[in-house]
Amino acid sequence: MNNYPEAAAKIASDYLERVKLQLRLVPANEQDEFLREIESHLYEAYQRTPGDDDVVRILTVLRNFGEPAEVVSDRLPGAMVRSGTQGNLPLYAIGGILIALFGLPLGSAGVGILAGLLGALAGILVAYYAVAGSFLLVGAATMLLGLTRIVFPQLYDRLVMLGYIQMNGPVGEFLDHFPAFYQGLFLVLLASAFAAAGLGMLWLGKYMLRGLRFLFSLTFDWMRRFAQGIRRKLRRDNREAPRMSRVSFVKQ
Amino acid sequence: MGYSDEGKDRRITQLRKGILELAVMGALYDERHYGYSLVRVLSESGSISLKEGTVYPILARLDRDGLVRSEWVESDQGPPRKYYALTSSGQQLFDSLSQELDILVSLVQQKWKVPGRSADAGKKLAVRKG
Repeated sequence: MNNYPEAAAKIASDYLERVKLQLRLVPANEQDEFLREIESHLYEAYQRTPGDDDVVRILTVLRNFGEPAEVVSDRLPGAMVRSGTQGNLPLYAIGGILIALFGLPLGSAGVGILAGLLGALAGILVAYYAVAGSFLLVGAATMLLGLTRIVFPQLYDRLVMLGYIQMNGPVGEFLDHFPAFYQGLFLVLLASAFAAAGLGMLWLGKYMLRGLRFLFSLTFDWMRRFAQGIRRKLRRDNREAPRMSRVSFVKQ
Repeated sequence: MGYSDEGKDRRITQLRKGILELAVMGALYDERHYGYSLVRVLSESGSISLKEGTVYPILARLDRDGLVRSEWVESDQGPPRKYYALTSSGQQLFDSLSQELDILVSLVQQKWKVPGRSADAGKKLAVRKG
């Protein structure tokens, strides 16, 4: 990394990794650009920070720069807005409703319901990908059948006679009206439609996945802040406890 | 009992955050800057001590709203730098925001420019209570 001494390079690299971790919801090209910008800043700040100890110098630079969470704070909503499209607006609405319902400490029942909702959403996502996979599988199988019907019509007939291929119902009756080549062509077109549907679902799923990750990170962030709030309150209580005892002593 | 130092610090931070965006826009109004140089300009021209990384969320926000344009420029002294400059819509917004700020500042300063004002308010409250 640039011309840092080894120890400083390791510390700077570790910091950039932490920034990258915070940027996990941001598109890759935007991540890279932002990291390059931060890297450039840190390098210049390091060069201009006086001192003999490399570690102290880089730590001073990072302390002046701030925590990764503060630095990326406005990147995440921006990325969400840019990546999307109308499709992401309902996710924002869901996020807003979840915050409104569970943003306040409602106790374990609220957390339980929230976990259940997130679990259900994850289940829906798994089912969605299973359906997309099925479409692709059916598309591939139908494509194989269509090509066999066009290139090796005798083999196809033999497979039908042996019972390996069963084309019954209205589709079978419909295909019987056409010669072998057109039957194959129809199957290839059908396979293309299935494959297109499967691929389309995978493409849309990318946005769903990003939205779900956003909701999960939102939830964990809320839990972290809630825990921090409790810790802060406990610290404050501990600080105030001796003062209270002094007051009661004076009154006695 | 006085107001807590923690609360006071939080309010000062909030106040600075609001002003900082305007200060960043002001610095980028006539000349372009990259992140590090922007921090130096802001630190040297005012008495604001800020975490250097805090300018990046602001730049991201301005960029997202089309108020700044940016370009990468190679540097002899190290890695390339990303320069920012205010767009014409950014300049227009800065002009109207700084006017707004002037109004707000004069509003806040009226507190001590008109000495009898707070005393009058106290009397009215006392009458209502009585």
